[in-house]
Amino acid sequence: MIPTNTAYETNIRLPLLFIVFGAITFAASQAVTLTAGLAMINGAFRLPSVWTAAHLAILGFALMVAMGAMYQLVPVAFLTPIWSERLGFAQFFITAAGMTLFSASLAFHARAALFPGLLLVLGIVLFLLQMAMTLRKQANKNIMTLFVSTALVCLLLTILFGLTLVFHFWSGTQTMDHLLALKTHILFGVFGWFPLLIIGFSYKMVPMFALAHGFSMKPARYVYVTYVTGLAVTFVSFLQNSQATFAAGAGLLFIAFALFVYHISLMLRKRMKKRLDRPFQFALFAIAAALILHGAALVLSYVGDDRHIAIVVYSYLLGWIMLSIIGYLYKIVPFLWWTHRYSKKIGKENVPTLKQMMNENWTTVQCALFIVSAAGVTIALAISSLPLFYIAQGAMTLFSLLFAGTIISVLRK
Amino acid sequence: MDIRELVLQQLRTVLDPELGINVVDLGLIYDLQISDGNIYILMTLTTPGCPLHDSIVGGVKRALEQIDGIRDVKVDVTWNPPWTPERMSEEALRQLGHF
Repeated sequence: MIPTNTAYETNIRLPLLFIVFGAITFAASQAVTLTAGLAMINGAFRLPSVWTAAHLAILGFALMVAMGAMYQLVPVAFLTPIWSERLGFAQFFITAAGMTLFSASLAFHARAALFPGLLLVLGIVLFLLQMAMTLRKQANKNIMTLFVSTALVCLLLTILFGLTLVFHFWSGTQTMDHLLALKTHILFGVFGWFPLLIIGFSYKMVPMFALAHGFSMKPARYVYVTYVTGLAVTFVSFLQNSQATFAAGAGLLFIAFALFVYHISLMLRKRMKKRLDRPFQFALFAIAAALILHGAALVLSYVGDDRHIAIVVYSYLLGWIMLSIIGYLYKIVPFLWWTHRYSKKIGKENVPTLKQMMNENWTTVQCALFIVSAAGVTIALAISSLPLFYIAQGAMTLFSLLFAGTIISVLRK
Repeated sequence: MDIRELVLQQLRTVLDPELGINVVDLGLIYDLQISDGNIYILMTLTTPGCPLHDSIVGGVKRALEQIDGIRDVKVDVTWNPPWTPERMSEEALRQLGHF
C-alpha cells in the first residue's frame, strides 16, 4: 500500500461566481421568454426577444454554470489542478460582461452585437485555453477526458459559427449560407457541447452519488463513437441538405443515447446507496427525458417540419440540459459552500452533512415545478395555445426565481 | 480505555459529509499505528478524485490531534488497493438502506 497524497481543489469562489451569476441570469432569461410568448406560439423563433431569451438561458445560465462546474469538477475528476486560477477569475469577468452586453445587443440592436460578441468569444476562448492547458497536464487520460475534450471542440465550433451569424448581421453580407451556419451553431451547441459534457461528467458523478462500484466502463466507448458519428452525420446532412442523411444522424444520436441510458442503468444496479438523493434523481430523470426527445427527433426527422423540430430542440434544452444542470447544481452548490464553511472544522466540532445544507423537500417541489412548467411550455408550443404558454412560462419564471433564491440562501448557511 | 480503542472512537466522529457515515464504518482506514504518542494512519477514500479528499483527510488528522497525549499525527492516502464496498461495516450498510 503505497501512500499517494494527492488532492486537487479549486478556490471555491471561482466556481461559485459562475454559478450564482448563472442562477440570476436564468431568472432574467425566463422573464424575457414570457414577453416573447405571442411570437413563439406562432412558430417565430428567429426574433430579437427570442434570441435574447435563448442566449441569456444558454450562455448566461447553462454555459456559465457549466464553466463554473468544470472549474470544480475537472481538478477532482481528472486529478489535475486548474492551470491558472487567476486566468479563471479574469475569464469570468470578461465572459459575464460579454454575455450581458451581447444579449442586450440582440434585444435592442442586433447589428451592434458584433463587438460584445467578440468580447464574449474572448471570454470563451480564454476558458478553452484554460481547459486545454489543464487537460494537457492530466497524467492518465481516460474516456471522460475524451468526452470532455470533444465537448470543448464542439464549444469552439459553436462559437465560430455563432460569430459567423453575428458577422452576417453586422456586415449585411454572407460568408456562407446563413441557415447552414445557424443549424450547425445549434447542432454543435445544443447536441454537441452540452450533452457530451454532461455525459462525460455523469460517468464521474453517477457512481459517486450512488456509491456504485464494480461496473464496466467499456460501454462508454460505444456511446462515444456512436454519438460523435451521429453528430458528424447530422452535420453532413446540413451540407448536403439531405433528409435521409439527417434521419441517419438522428438515428445514430438516438442509438448512442440509448446505449448511455443502458450503461447508466448498469451502474445504478451496482449502487450501494439504495435511496438516492432527490436532486440526483431529477438529474437521472433528465437522462430519461433526453432519450424520449432523441426518439421524438428521430421520428420528426422523417415526418416533421422545422417548427416541430424547433419545439423538440427547445424541449431538449429544458428537459435534458437545464434539468440535468439544475439537478446537479442542487448537489454541487451545497458541496462548494460546505467546503468553504466547514472543511477545516471537520474533526474538531460537529458539522452538518451536505444533505443538511439544503431542504430536500423544497428542492423536490422546485424540480417538480420545473418539470410541469417545461412540459406545459412544450405542449403550449405544440398546440399553439397562448393562455397555456403564459401559465406554464409564468410558472417557469416563478421556478427560476425560487431556484436563484435557493442557491443564494445556501450561501448564508 | 485502551489507546487504540480511543483512537478508533475519535475516528468515528469523522463523517463522510456526502454519505453521513464515519470513516471507520466505511472501511476507509487501512492501517493504524500508535507508538510513543505518535499516530500513523494509512487510509483511502471511496473513489480517487473524491471532491471531499482534503476535508476528510484533514478531518481525520484534526480529530486525532485532539486526543490528550498525542504528539504527532501523520495521515497518508493510498488508492492501492482501491476501496470496495465489502470493506463497509453492517452499520454502514444499514445506513445506506441495505437492511
